[in-house]
Amino acid sequence: MIVLTSDSSSDIAQRSDDTDSLWVRVDQLEQATGWQLKPEGVCLGEICVPLFEPEREAWIADADDRVWFCYSAFADKIGQKHVRDGDVWSLGSVPEVRRIGLESGLAPDFEMTDRNGDTVRLSDLRGHKVVLFTWASW
Amino acid sequence: MNLPVWQELYESIGPDRFELISVAEDSQGEAAAGKWFDKAKPTFRCIVDPTHRISSLFGWVNVPSGAWIDEDGRIVRSNEGVFPDETTIKFGLGKVRLGNDAFAHATRDWIERGPESEFVWSAEELAAHLKPVDDETLLAEPTFKLALHFESAGDSERALRHFEAAQRLAPDNWNYHRQGWTHKGTLYAYLQVLKKSAYLRKKTDKNYYDPMELPGENHRRFTEPEWFWTPAVNRLKRLLRRAPSTA
Repeated sequence: MIVLTSDSSSDIAQRSDDTDSLWVRVDQLEQATGWQLKPEGVCLGEICVPLFEPEREAWIADADDRVWFCYSAFADKIGQKHVRDGDVWSLGSVPEVRRIGLESGLAPDFEMTDRNGDTVRLSDLRGHKVVLFTWASW
Repeated sequence: MNLPVWQELYESIGPDRFELISVAEDSQGEAAAGKWFDKAKPTFRCIVDPTHRISSLFGWVNVPSGAWIDEDGRIVRSNEGVFPDETTIKFGLGKVRLGNDAFAHATRDWIERGPESEFVWSAEELAAHLKPVDDETLLAEPTFKLALHFESAGDSERALRHFEAAQRLAPDNWNYHRQGWTHKGTLYAYLQVLKKSAYLRKKTDKNYYDPMELPGENHRRFTEPEWFWTPAVNRLKRLLRRAPSTA
């Protein structure tokens, strides 16, 4: 099963007894989605979404000798869009991340590799003015 | 592509005074964008972005688009068609002209004067320039990413299906249209751009880009083709108009 996010593509395990929902093994959750399961809830950086008891019961399950988290149900809760074709799931941006970015006026951070093989992390360029532009060959 | 013009601008303002980052939004990656970068020999940072990550993050819907980001990481302008000079794009027997040097002048002014530059937007102006995002637009993003995934995997049928779905969900996102059309070939994509922009120009008040509101800006609502044979046709018309009076 492949999970696509805005900045990653992960080939991860699939729960054998329920392929209708996006169940992600808890130990692969961060790699595939960026979110982590913590005592205070499900967290992405400084954002933590509490899980209420009925949700914990329904969305965290044992199967195939592993612990799984029902990410598609969680995504619905936080308003993150997702679309699926076969065993490929594609996740949209996280609305809370987008909202915080818009309210703060801060540029969204990114880390990418440039053509010289160097890492470009926008937050590393603090203290400099940055002009960022896109183009395409098409 | 404008990369040589960006290089001139970068050198003339001073590479030690700002960071210039150029991002190629090309699903074919280095194979499509590499030759343009190589030809321009840029000394600024160059990134190839086959999954259009930067456009998604910044909410940009066309190329070129750009942003100014200040020393504190704040966006002070964003979501504009950033041509550094007049650009002529040839395609087949036609050509289009886009942009002028208004954005380059404004960029130089901002680099030199910082927050004192009249071209820096307030938080309110910035908010007004960012596009509202509805449910369908949010759904279009993962749909487009799914299309790029299948294109990269060589599954053309599924790629096209998801490109078309993303285009339907976010009809004003030109990146989804143009990248999706390119899956059927560059010429096909160019023709679709002309067809769609001609339709929108005649039938709607939509813009290809919002006006930048810069002094001297030559804003054009849409790509307007100038056919190579147009001068010849005009000469013929003048001759025909002159013909009766000389007869």
